[in-house]
Amino acid sequence: MRRTRAAWSATALTVVAGLVLAGCSQQSNTGAPDTGQPAVGFPETAPNPEQPGRPGGVFRLGSTEPTAIDPYNAQESEGIRVAEAIFTGLVEVQPDGAVTPGVASDWSANDNCSVWTFNLKPGTTFHNGETVDAASFKRGWERAAAKGSGSEVSYHLDVIQGYAEMQSGAATQLTGVDASNPDRLVVTLTKPDCEFELRTNHPVYSPVPTAVGATTDTAYTDAPIGNGPFRMDGKWQHNQGIRLVRFDDYTAGDKAFLDAVEITILPDANGAQLEYDGFNNGQFDWARMPPPLLAQARAANEPAGKWMSKKTNGINYFTVANTTAPLNSPEARKAISLAIDRNAIAQGVFQGAQSPATALVPPLFPEAYQDGVCEACRYDPAEAKRLAEQAGLTPGTELSLQFNTGGGHEEWTAAVRQQLETNLGLKVNYTGVPFTDLLNNEGAPGATGLFRSAWGADYPTPGNYLIPLLATSSIGAAPNEPVTGNNYGRYSNPQFDDLVARANASKDEAERNDLWKQAERIAIGQDLALIPLWARQQFRLVATDRFNNINMNFNENPTLEKISIK
Amino acid sequence: MTTLPPPTGGSPADTAEVAAAARPTTQAPHGGRRSAGPGQLSDIWRRYRRNRLALLGLGIVGLLVFLAIFEPFITPFSPFEQNLLNTTAPPSARHWFGTDVLGRDMFSAIIYGAKLAVIVGLATVAMSLLIGVVFGAIAGFRGGAVDSVIMRTTDVFLAFPLLVGAILVVRTFGAGVTPVIIALALFGWTTSARLMRGQTLALRESEYVEAARSIGATDRRIISRHILPNAIAPVLVYAFTNIGVVVVAMASLSFLGIGVPADIPEWGRLISQSAPFFQVPGKSHLWAFPALAICVTTLGFAFVADGLRDALDPKLRGRG
Amino acid sequence: MGMFILRRSGQAVLVVMGATLLVFIATFALGDPFASTGDRQVPPEIAAANRAQFGLDQPLPIQYVTYLGNLFTGDLGVDFDQRRPVIDMLAETVPNTVRLALVAILIDVIIGVVAGIIAAVKRYSFADVLVTVLSTLAIGVPVFVIGIVLVANLSGVGPFPTVPRSFTVEVPWYQEVLLPAFALAIIDAAFIARLMRGSMLEVLRSDYIRTARAKGLSERKVIGKHALRNSLIPVVTYIGVSLGVLLGGAIITETIFQYNGVGFLLFRAISGNNAPVISAVVVFGVLAYVLLSLLVDILYAFLDPRIRLN
Repeated sequence: MRRTRAAWSATALTVVAGLVLAGCSQQSNTGAPDTGQPAVGFPETAPNPEQPGRPGGVFRLGSTEPTAIDPYNAQESEGIRVAEAIFTGLVEVQPDGAVTPGVASDWSANDNCSVWTFNLKPGTTFHNGETVDAASFKRGWERAAAKGSGSEVSYHLDVIQGYAEMQSGAATQLTGVDASNPDRLVVTLTKPDCEFELRTNHPVYSPVPTAVGATTDTAYTDAPIGNGPFRMDGKWQHNQGIRLVRFDDYTAGDKAFLDAVEITILPDANGAQLEYDGFNNGQFDWARMPPPLLAQARAANEPAGKWMSKKTNGINYFTVANTTAPLNSPEARKAISLAIDRNAIAQGVFQGAQSPATALVPPLFPEAYQDGVCEACRYDPAEAKRLAEQAGLTPGTELSLQFNTGGGHEEWTAAVRQQLETNLGLKVNYTGVPFTDLLNNEGAPGATGLFRSAWGADYPTPGNYLIPLLATSSIGAAPNEPVTGNNYGRYSNPQFDDLVARANASKDEAERNDLWKQAERIAIGQDLALIPLWARQQFRLVATDRFNNINMNFNENPTLEKISIK
Repeated sequence: MTTLPPPTGGSPADTAEVAAAARPTTQAPHGGRRSAGPGQLSDIWRRYRRNRLALLGLGIVGLLVFLAIFEPFITPFSPFEQNLLNTTAPPSARHWFGTDVLGRDMFSAIIYGAKLAVIVGLATVAMSLLIGVVFGAIAGFRGGAVDSVIMRTTDVFLAFPLLVGAILVVRTFGAGVTPVIIALALFGWTTSARLMRGQTLALRESEYVEAARSIGATDRRIISRHILPNAIAPVLVYAFTNIGVVVVAMASLSFLGIGVPADIPEWGRLISQSAPFFQVPGKSHLWAFPALAICVTTLGFAFVADGLRDALDPKLRGRG
Repeated sequence: MGMFILRRSGQAVLVVMGATLLVFIATFALGDPFASTGDRQVPPEIAAANRAQFGLDQPLPIQYVTYLGNLFTGDLGVDFDQRRPVIDMLAETVPNTVRLALVAILIDVIIGVVAGIIAAVKRYSFADVLVTVLSTLAIGVPVFVIGIVLVANLSGVGPFPTVPRSFTVEVPWYQEVLLPAFALAIIDAAFIARLMRGSMLEVLRSDYIRTARAKGLSERKVIGKHALRNSLIPVVTYIGVSLGVLLGGAIITETIFQYNGVGFLLFRAISGNNAPVISAVVVFGVLAYVLLSLLVDILYAFLDPRIRLN
């Protein structure tokens, strides 16, 4: 489960506002309607080419305070940044999506992908010298899966046989993990998953040494002993910083070049501003920046190659209640989508920091990405009106629009509200609620309307968008019960379910991607089960004048293990 | 100008922080034991208008009330209408104060904010006054256990951070202007109660209360007919002073993201929504105008309260 | 006197108890802390397991009794987010807040008292008007506006440390505390100036000052020795209570300056729905406030025996 701290922490300092309610004798504030569809936002930059490195250098960056750096509970980008530097799992995922060996040298699945065998590289060690073997992985997985571990991410292990028993406290071992041969890990799943190896890229799948501490032992969880290319230099100084140094006996892959990584912990609320300031005054080598400053930061840094722009793993969308009026027809949902001027909001509200989405599966997966598969993601008020009439979405119809407060969503949702009221004449009931309430409201039986949502895949596969958000199984509840999965809109289409099930059971990657594409064409192109709004895009300033090989990985972190001083 | 604060009563110590922003800025006058009868009104006005700052304050408050009433006719644009093609524009002939992050006309938004400030200010003060006066009078009049319970309750509310309390209220009632009013009143009534209790205690033993009691008047009648009219003046002055503080408190809550709903152009929210622009050159109009509006409002009420206090209490006249 | 102290202490205990109940209800109203992390729902089974681990599956009255019991034995529990002992978090932040409060009060007193004296002694002079106008203005400005302006213009200038800097660069605490302390002090100093001026004027009119002057004491001696001491009483009272409030954490100021004190901790805890931390900080703040108020009352009772009779 990934999240950016920035989301909840923008809480107070970046808040927002809205619109509506026409006054009496007032002029109109709106200029000419936005007819053209000008390109908005900032184009992606090319990856920095990989060059031979040499040891040395200290890479410094800002971060918000992580929830945890111990793999048992590392969850947001900042926590995973440390966890993935000090731990190496079975496989590694490169910034371009390629899966490469980690501790496992090779892996294979049986015919229906329900039993996986990972062969481990011999002789790799933890930072304390202990050998990493199959039992190390079993130990780590069981530590997180155990009842009372307090992990909020252990559900990533739930496909493994025995997980449910451990969670309930009935068992103390994962029966599906066979570590009897130290060099070979055999994993039995409860249901076929031909992409299980991708799952193991999540930090919760890390191995742990016998010297591991309990998950409640802060002396250990603040200074975990890992097997990654870096090791902790002292312990995590809460709210101050974390220092990592190169692990010189690393053999699970290429040794890191950097001598050390210094992560300075900054306050959540204005972390991006501080990182930007720190980059400008030479304190940091990698920095975010506040959206209003993007244009000027880009102008100042792009010529020197210090500007990085990348569409990453994430989508912002509206969950739509598919089964209740007024949005229980594809026409109604498309009318809503067509009435939203994504470009105007991207430019006017986000200052170009968000790019309008034209699909659910993001461009991060080039083999499965279908630019424009969401035909209704363009702005066409006339067509919107036509479809709305057809769907009975007549002027004056009440529509609920809910968002969570404190996440910086007040502003753009207010803009959407005004567009829906202007373009379709709807009466939008606009409500901001705390995040937990939002989840409860959208999952409740009989929920109606639109809900602000965002999603980032936990594992680098299109399936991790399509299945959790749209498969019938992800509703996890009868119509009169609250949703327990992530398919809050209760979209259910047997044809779609069949396609994703076949994709999940296919060992051929090309075939899989084709099936993912077909599935998205049905759920998004044809049914518009949810309304894609913005593709997640990230911007960084990077000290390419001092370092080579800086790129952004799947978790939006710098590729610390590759970076080298110039 | 200012007199001795009571030991713990209504500590004004921390107006710097929202934690207690709903507490008094200025101490209520001592000695205002007898309220001014109608005949004295012209006297009070004569004394009041000698104070130039007080007159300025009256002007500011008058302007605010005017803006509040005639807001729809004064605002050149709807304070809610966005123009996403023209966000954060600097002041111009068309938009005197520029436009905000959603392209709304800042001048209109500020005027709308004035209306909100007046409404919330008056409503909060009225509500806390009501609670405070009732509890204060009962505590002072009854004494004993009732007094203790009420006074300990005021202590708890006084010691409790407003922010946490306000979140509780807003979470319970949902975001909106009314919850903000309830939250501020709930944590702002304590000083009124203490003042009222003090006044009641003093009046309880007075001859005319004794007299009323001897002819068999009920407690309720004694409080409402004899004590209240004579005790209310300093409490009212305090309450009026507090309007400015309430305005700041509301803005502070919005600034922390807890106050009024997101789509309402409230001054504090206008400031907080411009937080990403604090260090962007040429965008200072986004926060400077609402900040100025808050300052002017607070000052207006503070001036009026000062003048009123001096005018009501001739003993303090000329002391500054 | 002993009775008075006893009675006031008893009251203080009641107030703290009342506050624990209020904060317990407040944190309960914040809702389920384990239902989601950041942008995502936590699977219901995992959320339930975590609730059980923290005792949130118990009936409310039992939760409250447990909470009170733990509080009395000094067990503040483990926070919901990082699972760290709350006492560690307080230990990290309380010293910072104490420093901030003390430095702010010091600045308050220096500016406020001096300005107040000048205004009172040179009454109706330009300085008097200036103090009156400035102090009124300062009271009108919300602290977050002051904070924003200070942060935007002064960080990295002169003695004020650069924000941000690498955590490996040490900055002495007195540099770190300066800016937020100034922001806090400006408004309080304005109050003290007004308070000081008023009380000084009152004292200057009193008979004993007239007597002292009549005896031919120098003006400096009259003011410095006789008038000052007596007019400081209300100021000292004010400072005591003000300190009590500041020790509870200056939420807005600490948040704006990202100063690692209990106020900022409280703000983060509220944003993150972290009940154990919210409770601990609030109870700490109430305790500080109540204790200092108590102290001030006792001090006052010593100075003015009439109070005790109340």
